[in-house]
Amino acid sequence: MVEGLFYLLLFPGLAFQVTCGLVFEWADRKLLARFQRRVGPRWYQPLADLVKLFSKEDMLPTGASDWAATILPLVSLASVLTAGLYVPIAGFTPFSFEGDLIVILFFMGVPTMAYYLVGMSSVGIYSILGGARSLLQYFSYEVPLLLAFSGPAVLSGSWSVSGILEAQTELGPFFLFQPVGFGLAVVGLIGKLKRDPLDIPKAKSEVVAGSLTEFSGPKLALWHLVMDIQAIIGIFLLINLFFGAPVGAAPWIGALIFGGEVLLMIFILSAASSLFARLRIDQLAGLGWRVLVPAGIIQLLFVILMGV
Amino acid sequence: MAKKNGLLFALVDALFSRPETVRYPFGPVSLPEGFRGAIEFDAECCIGCGLCVRDCPANALELIRESREVYQLRYFPTRCAFCGQCQSTCARGAISHSNHIVPSTANPDAISVVLKDTSGGRLD
Amino acid sequence: MTKNIIPVGPQHPLLKEPISVNIEVSGEDVLGGSLRIGYVHRGIERLAQERTYVQNVHLIERICGICSHVHTTTYCYAVEALLGIEIPPKAQYIRALMCELERIHSHLLWIGILAKHIGLEMVFMHSWHNREVVLDIMEELSGGRVSHAANLIGGVRFDMDAEHDQMVRRQLRKLEDQLFGVLDAISTDTTIKARTKGVAPITAEQIRQYCVVGPVARASGVDVDMRRDNPLPPYDKLDFNVVTYPDGDAWARTIVRVDETRESLKLCEKILDQMPEGPVTTRARRKVPAGETVIRSEAPRGEVFYYLRSDGSEYPARLKIRTPTLAALSLMPVQLSEIRVADIPVVLAGIDLCIACADR
Repeated sequence: MVEGLFYLLLFPGLAFQVTCGLVFEWADRKLLARFQRRVGPRWYQPLADLVKLFSKEDMLPTGASDWAATILPLVSLASVLTAGLYVPIAGFTPFSFEGDLIVILFFMGVPTMAYYLVGMSSVGIYSILGGARSLLQYFSYEVPLLLAFSGPAVLSGSWSVSGILEAQTELGPFFLFQPVGFGLAVVGLIGKLKRDPLDIPKAKSEVVAGSLTEFSGPKLALWHLVMDIQAIIGIFLLINLFFGAPVGAAPWIGALIFGGEVLLMIFILSAASSLFARLRIDQLAGLGWRVLVPAGIIQLLFVILMGV
Repeated sequence: MAKKNGLLFALVDALFSRPETVRYPFGPVSLPEGFRGAIEFDAECCIGCGLCVRDCPANALELIRESREVYQLRYFPTRCAFCGQCQSTCARGAISHSNHIVPSTANPDAISVVLKDTSGGRLD
Repeated sequence: MTKNIIPVGPQHPLLKEPISVNIEVSGEDVLGGSLRIGYVHRGIERLAQERTYVQNVHLIERICGICSHVHTTTYCYAVEALLGIEIPPKAQYIRALMCELERIHSHLLWIGILAKHIGLEMVFMHSWHNREVVLDIMEELSGGRVSHAANLIGGVRFDMDAEHDQMVRRQLRKLEDQLFGVLDAISTDTTIKARTKGVAPITAEQIRQYCVVGPVARASGVDVDMRRDNPLPPYDKLDFNVVTYPDGDAWARTIVRVDETRESLKLCEKILDQMPEGPVTTRARRKVPAGETVIRSEAPRGEVFYYLRSDGSEYPARLKIRTPTLAALSLMPVQLSEIRVADIPVVLAGIDLCIACADR
């Protein structure tokens, strides 16, 4: 019982994931700033932002659905935290079972639907546009993402992330065997996290903040937490599926390597954010269905047929 | 590829360069020599012609004149636009801009500087 | 599909200055827009009638922050034309140098704004970082980064000696090294091209109908540039290329400004090479005789038109200013049909709005 509470609340549960989410936000903002020749925020900035937002007034415009705006961020937060419980951290996970990859992907999809619903339930043209665009974007990146994540599962013959890790300790890291799948997974992750160049639902110059335009105070803090944790859990999942865990090393070496891989992924995401202009939604739909999905299918067929 | 070389090169170059942020006021700030700051006045050169008063676009200079020798020149730093017109207008070089930045104040009308007074305080 | 109205402005992340564009959308398609300006109207033309000619130089400078020097230059040429004096050649060249530097920094600012609005914030920061070099040059020469106060009636306020010349050349060389990577990257980048190619094309007929000038006109193939067609001295002694592109879409507007930046850099070098020695001011009477004159010059955004009438008193009788953004704004509702919501930033940025100029 105590052990269960420890896993749920401390590691790899609530406290660990919130801390990782805040560290991810800091690293991302710092890297983006350094790319732009700026200094960037100090390490406690995301925590300070969270505290500040929790202390602000909580208000919504008249006509917006209050209960939807309260329930949806809480449900999203619960979903990503639950998804994070099943993602191995440097090979360690207390709750793995066969099929947990599908559970993780399901729980990671809840915030996206919640973002759409909260946009539709809010008042104002920016929220509605943001919500509609987020659903359109979901249709364009989700299929390539699922195809990309299916590759390692098929290759290792198991739908559990721990099983995929074990297969990688035998065969080697999967990104070597499925580079196209790795690329698709990165693109899909950028789309899921609604980051530049796929931040179409919350493009600052078109739809001021998308679904969250009318939010402020604690609800906005919850949404920021959801996005940060979603990002870091997505990165953990990507690393587990494509980089694997180091073989037979001491736990602290494994943790160091894991941390290094996380930093590399954050660097890749931030660099992609800086190097590409935002796509239009029709360009994204075209790219998704004309380029990404065929590439994903071909990669999956290759994996199945060649057994490699 | 040319495009990626350009932006990618700029990104990597920025990552390994010092940031451009000037940590004012904790770091050094360089002002050029022609910087138009607060007014410096040389009372001996001034003859009280009043051309600077006429040319100031912000009405920051005031001349109260009783006779040819008795006058008072007053300057309002909070109205000043730091344009340099008075410096260009004055044929004697009595008025010029220094390098000092004028700080803000909460009560702008209370501040005025008497630049030259030949009346002995009578014209206040 | 229901119709909605996106209120862009007066405050919006897209705008650096307040205008109000109510854009009617249906889904992701834009149906049209209605424009409302006047939020920063300060009555400059009326204020100019209550100040002397000398005081007006500094009032005119505060019409706009980006094209401040061009406004004062045009005004000073107008007053000097009424006075019947000609300023020394060195002053003419210094005025032209500051004009070209202003054109460079205005276009760099614009490239940054366009990149920021289509999501490339890194290009925004890098382009403005390069712009700092130009602002440093202007600060060394005139004492101010944005408010140069460079012009007097009868010449310029500061002189340039050999040391200044060396400094300007050194900084321009440094700018060239830093800049051509970013400019080349922008002109060949596929994502920027994908966002701007084919967006909101304007035909040359529409340009002539709405009297649009500047880079927007040159991007539709209309070859008009006041520096060549109606040159103020010393542009009649300088040779340079006028950049035009036939397409008329947002991509052409981007490329025209990128190429114009390169041209202006070369033109700055030529101005420095040809700069003569001599005084920088000449004596100008304060009493302006009665008369009227029209002076036109090329601001970074197009043709600036000044009409000045004097009735012999110490205040101007009428000062009329027509700025290039005003004409481009009238074209905006036309551009706002047949595009998508995602193209709104590209269209609004392509006009290079300077509302402070337009509202005066």
